[in-house]
Amino acid sequence: MSDGPAIELTGLTKRYGPVVGVDRLSLTVGTGEVFGFLGPNGAGKTTTLRCLTGLLRPSEGRVRVLGLDPITDHSRVAPHLGYLPGELRLYPELSGAETLDLLSALQEAPVPRRGELCDRLGLTPAVLARPVGGYSRGMKQKLGLVQAMQHDPHLVVLDEPTEGLDPLVQDTFFTLLGEAAAAGRTVLLSSHILPEVQRTCGRVAIIRDGRLVTVQSVAGLREARARRIRLSFADGQGARPLGDAERWAPHWQGDRVELLVPPSEVVGALRALLSRPVADVTVEEAGLDEAFMDLYRNGAVREEP
Amino acid sequence: MKGQWPLLWLALYRRRRMLAALIIGMVVFEALIVVVANTISPGQLFSAGGKGPPSAYRAFSGSSGGVSIASYPGLLGAGLTHPFWIAMQLTAIGSLAAAAVAADVESGTVELVMVRPVSRTRLLAERTAALVLAALALNLAATLTVAAGVVLSPDIHRAVPIGGVFAAGVMGLGFALCLIGPAMAVSAAGRRRAQVIGATIAIGAVGFAVNFIALAWGPAAPLRFLSPFHYYAPGDALAEGGVLWPQLGILVGTGVLGILLAHLLLRRRDLAP
Repeated sequence: MSDGPAIELTGLTKRYGPVVGVDRLSLTVGTGEVFGFLGPNGAGKTTTLRCLTGLLRPSEGRVRVLGLDPITDHSRVAPHLGYLPGELRLYPELSGAETLDLLSALQEAPVPRRGELCDRLGLTPAVLARPVGGYSRGMKQKLGLVQAMQHDPHLVVLDEPTEGLDPLVQDTFFTLLGEAAAAGRTVLLSSHILPEVQRTCGRVAIIRDGRLVTVQSVAGLREARARRIRLSFADGQGARPLGDAERWAPHWQGDRVELLVPPSEVVGALRALLSRPVADVTVEEAGLDEAFMDLYRNGAVREEP
Repeated sequence: MKGQWPLLWLALYRRRRMLAALIIGMVVFEALIVVVANTISPGQLFSAGGKGPPSAYRAFSGSSGGVSIASYPGLLGAGLTHPFWIAMQLTAIGSLAAAAVAADVESGTVELVMVRPVSRTRLLAERTAALVLAALALNLAATLTVAAGVVLSPDIHRAVPIGGVFAAGVMGLGFALCLIGPAMAVSAAGRRRAQVIGATIAIGAVGFAVNFIALAWGPAAPLRFLSPFHYYAPGDALAEGGVLWPQLGILVGTGVLGILLAHLLLRRRDLAP
């Protein structure tokens, strides 16, 4: 392993026949960083993670994980890697304990954290004795988290890790991530849920249609996030010109209008809009798919220094 | 085994009930063949119309030489080439070969296995070993059952040396290896369990049909060299009392070539659902 970045992607491209899954993706994740990988479903997140873990061969470009090629140096990378797939599939006839035993035997490494992780995630011995075919989705996901972290890997790659977890277990999971970061572990967290990434990650990459949209710090991301302003008019005149606010591309439905406004301009926009005969107004953070990605719809790749 | 060869253990553990059922089925079936052979002599069994069986019936006696089904070696050989025997072999091979790679890709479990320090060569080696062990168990069950029958029946024992029974068992394992190789190659390249099972059944069924047609119809005679059943000749092994080494070499060689092809295919492919 090198002392350089934990993950380095240079022009990564993955094609499935004529379909491009990931297109010229370049990205660097430093050692000890908790890094978010954000994008809507089908954006190419899972494909990227599979290239990182050596499951997929890149069509073009270079992938380095812990300074090594995850395919040609698989036997040197994999011992230091913990991975939770996005769609966790287990052998249904094995019990939870047998599953963890099998995966640790394949890992060929001690599992110093298994007991602690099982305790904290509520996987009791009785639960672990049952075949995983009878587990709920949340239970499977807990088992997936344990198998990914039980050997205390240097790099943890998590694809949609909170899917199926109840809020209490999600809290425990985020605490675990915080501890991993404090211990100097590198975490790559893929998600389509913006608050989840904001809560845990120092930096975030946004990917859409297989292309990198931006890489930003979470603070910068929060700053950039749009607010959705909804106004209702009571005069029955329907759509009308909104002056300067027209630049936010208002979306009319009868007497109601919706605008996505950058946070720094919300107050000014409201002042101007409320000079009109408004009957009701709401302001809320926009959802990822509707607003955040919209902000970057035409944006070139940007990366913070 | 669980700690040292976890992938081998997993393959056998997941199919343990099926394998147990197949082994029991094999024992019962071969015992039935021995009882039939011991009750009615093969000559009587096949000469009710005053004529012997057609020469193409050698396909059913497991002979590529001159062993007639109307003989003890031929009848016992028929038990080792019967469609029921073939079906049991194909079930075990198709199922385990499918589970080797393609089924893991189809179900997505391959991700959990292959992100660990498991080389593709090791995956293939442990899964192939599981198949060979399963085939060994099935053929051993058949061989020991027939051997017990031969030892217990003086009439059969006079016509069939006990060494021939074990030689036929070795040929059976060679036949299984001959199918394991191509089945593993299909699994190494495939993404669906059904592809592997279908290909295995096709190789077995088409192979048997080609051999039978080649024996029954003169112009098609050269085609017999394409069929594994031309080389898998338990009737001849039973009659001669020894392993037919050239034929065994071809069967095993085909299997090894298939596994090498599987290795090449597996090294190059993506391993994700």
